[in-house]
Amino acid sequence: MRFMRLSVAQAVYNLRAYLRSARTVVLGVVMPVGLLVILSWVFAHQGEIAAAAGYQISAIAFYAGGLTAYGLMLGTFTGVMVAVVSAREAGWLKRFRGSPMPPGAYLAGQIIFNVVISLGLVIVMMLIATLVYSLHVRTVALVAVFCYSLLGVFCFTAIALAITKVITTPEMASSVGPTATITLSFTSGVFLPPDLMPHWLTNVANYLPLEPLAQSMQSALASTVGTGFQLRTFVVLGIWGVVGFAVAQWTFTWQPLRR
Amino acid sequence: MDALSSRVAAGTFTSAPPSTGDTMTNVIEVNNLTKRFGKLAAVDDVSFSVRQGEIFGLLGENGAGKTTTIEILEGFQRADHGTALVLGVNPCLAHRGWHDRIGLVLQESDFDPVHTVNETLKLFASFFSNPRDVSETLKMVGLTDKAGERVGRLSGGQKRRVDVALGIIGHPEVLFLDEPTTGFDPVARREFWTVIEGLREVGTSIVLTTHYMEEAERLCDRLAIMAKGQIVAEGTSAALISAMGATTIRFELPADVEVSTLRSIAGADFILRDNLVEVLLGTGVAEVLLRLLQWSETTGVVLTRLEVVRPTLNDVFLGATGCDE
Repeated sequence: MRFMRLSVAQAVYNLRAYLRSARTVVLGVVMPVGLLVILSWVFAHQGEIAAAAGYQISAIAFYAGGLTAYGLMLGTFTGVMVAVVSAREAGWLKRFRGSPMPPGAYLAGQIIFNVVISLGLVIVMMLIATLVYSLHVRTVALVAVFCYSLLGVFCFTAIALAITKVITTPEMASSVGPTATITLSFTSGVFLPPDLMPHWLTNVANYLPLEPLAQSMQSALASTVGTGFQLRTFVVLGIWGVVGFAVAQWTFTWQPLRR
Repeated sequence: MDALSSRVAAGTFTSAPPSTGDTMTNVIEVNNLTKRFGKLAAVDDVSFSVRQGEIFGLLGENGAGKTTTIEILEGFQRADHGTALVLGVNPCLAHRGWHDRIGLVLQESDFDPVHTVNETLKLFASFFSNPRDVSETLKMVGLTDKAGERVGRLSGGQKRRVDVALGIIGHPEVLFLDEPTTGFDPVARREFWTVIEGLREVGTSIVLTTHYMEEAERLCDRLAIMAKGQIVAEGTSAALISAMGATTIRFELPADVEVSTLRSIAGADFILRDNLVEVLLGTGVAEVLLRLLQWSETTGVVLTRLEVVRPTLNDVFLGATGCDE
């Protein structure tokens, strides 16, 4: 009970900081929404795009799914990294460590906060896809996209925490996050159909977290029946998440790195 | 001063070791604490204790080992040798219940600038089982009128007061203050001292590191002076000063008077320093003064700029750390 209360207090604290900082809102919402509007508009005439070998889906399902996954990685991965590194370098984490707050409540607060932000992003993206581009989003597809988002938050939070040990400044965090996300997006069928990429590159991307997430969201939105459920997505993101948390457990530091 | 400083440096002024076994009233017990960073012993065989309800000062230059010592007591660093007990617990093995009774003001820390003072304090208050009221805490540190201000808009001194507010919001039994007034202007520093004295009145035990002697003299019930990782003097500031003992008499050397003639006039060996003659006396200050004044009265020689000076904590500090010339 106390743990939940403290986790929610942390999440509310983060949410307030998020809403008061223009940069995070631009990065997390405006950028994916803008890309969705532009790319869907440019490629609408294409009709269908090959989301995977022999799997043609509508341009709007391709971009609504792919860019939601992109926004989710951009927001969570960058957001957690920036939040943790800034708090650590400011001595804020050290202060937490010296307080009676259980360390897990800080982590839970980060996850709850990112879940809220991600669900917000999903809602905005789905509304635009539906209202502007007449994508028919079935309830079951919406639920599936929500579930994939939770999986994505879990996975990207873990990876972000795992690499904070080598990210020494908040500035570094806020450049590493978008750079990694945008680079990965090109190989993961987010901006461009994957068949435009070399075969070996898409093979590698299959084992990185963004490609399965994007593809699952795309197929959930494109399918006319079911959710397009893919076990592969849960396995790949699950392994990345568990390994990420395990590494974070070993390497995470509460004290500032600079001295 | 040389003989004196060597006596202080040799540790002859250090009071009796703290191991009196009276743990009932000691909130902190430190015995033979040692912490090395590579070859450097940052803390070298340090022992002291802090009694309940007192303000204990750790003085020393930068790099003397104050912060390392306090960070071991806060649980952030692990000692290589020796023991440290805070409220009867080894800080690096402490669980959350122990942290509930401890308050920290770290040497350096910053806030997320977008939150208000009120919001920042509320978050911290939620961690503790018996927090102080936020507005009461703000009043204690003199920030009531800044409650709704974003932390990023505060001055350095005001931010430091937020730090102190976060340190005391949990009703701590023991409060650690690591150089709390560095960067304060003199007015802010005085106001801060009042806050700390208020905490002592409500029974909080406080460990304070500082390199302001005036602050230590005003606030600390007892203090320890550290140099190169060791405690070189310990006691109340009054005891340390009187242990230093010597009083200086100085005045401007009158024209046509040789320094050497002062020996027969006043019965003391004055030395000439710049324009002034001075002597350092352990005892017999009154006799020397009396003879000087009688000489002045009978001969009509004016004793310009006459001073009788007791040593300050600063002199004790400089003597103990071997920093005087």
